[in-house]
Amino acid sequence: MVEFEPAIKSLTAAEVEFVIVGGLAVSFHSTGYITTDFDFCYLRTTENQKKIVSAFAPFNPRLRDFPENLPFVWDERTLQNGMNFTLKTTIGDIDLLGEVAGIGDYEAVRKESTLTTLYECKVRVLTLEGLINAKRAAGRTKDLLVLPELEALREAIVETDDE
Amino acid sequence: MEKFDRKRLERIGELFKNPRPGSKIAAAQEFGIDLTLTFEQLKKTPQERVDYLQSAMKSLEEFRRQAKEWRKQNGGRI
Repeated sequence: MVEFEPAIKSLTAAEVEFVIVGGLAVSFHSTGYITTDFDFCYLRTTENQKKIVSAFAPFNPRLRDFPENLPFVWDERTLQNGMNFTLKTTIGDIDLLGEVAGIGDYEAVRKESTLTTLYECKVRVLTLEGLINAKRAAGRTKDLLVLPELEALREAIVETDDE
Repeated sequence: MEKFDRKRLERIGELFKNPRPGSKIAAAQEFGIDLTLTFEQLKKTPQERVDYLQSAMKSLEEFRRQAKEWRKQNGGRI
């Protein structure tokens, strides 16, 4: 299980450019879906990668499914050498995504996000429309199972929007 | 994004109760989604929804821990 509050507060305090995607975004939009990790899409610049490294360093991140006896270095070079990272930390499982299937890189994801407040932090969360596109593109069983509820929600919200 | 107002919630509740045939809402119900649970989430603020998720995750983890303990004490029976 991941603890959202320290993850979000650390990213915000370090001024990381990120957008919340995945299960937390699904719950944010009112479904009863339960996730176990925290997924976010990040801007792939050296400066932002340095900020991510500093934000999560206190939580001793390591790659999941990475042998315990092998050394893992948590620094910006590691982040520069990959795109997506599945991390195990002292506050739970955290996934860093350089791009999101069905949407694209950070800039595209940011355009499909909405600004909100969580734990007194200003954060960006993927829109319902963006989530539907991402889940459809990911195409895994667990993604497809949540699609009917997301689409029903979108329909209800659109049909009751008088503005 | 803030909490939906009462009037809008009532309209959404009506759509969930009486979905139009062929609509996405009807499709979700046919798929087996319990939209009364979705509606309960809609009544909350985004922070309350996230708090609910965090609390559900904790309960689920505790349930899994107890189930694992039970299996250990009962020779691996499920």
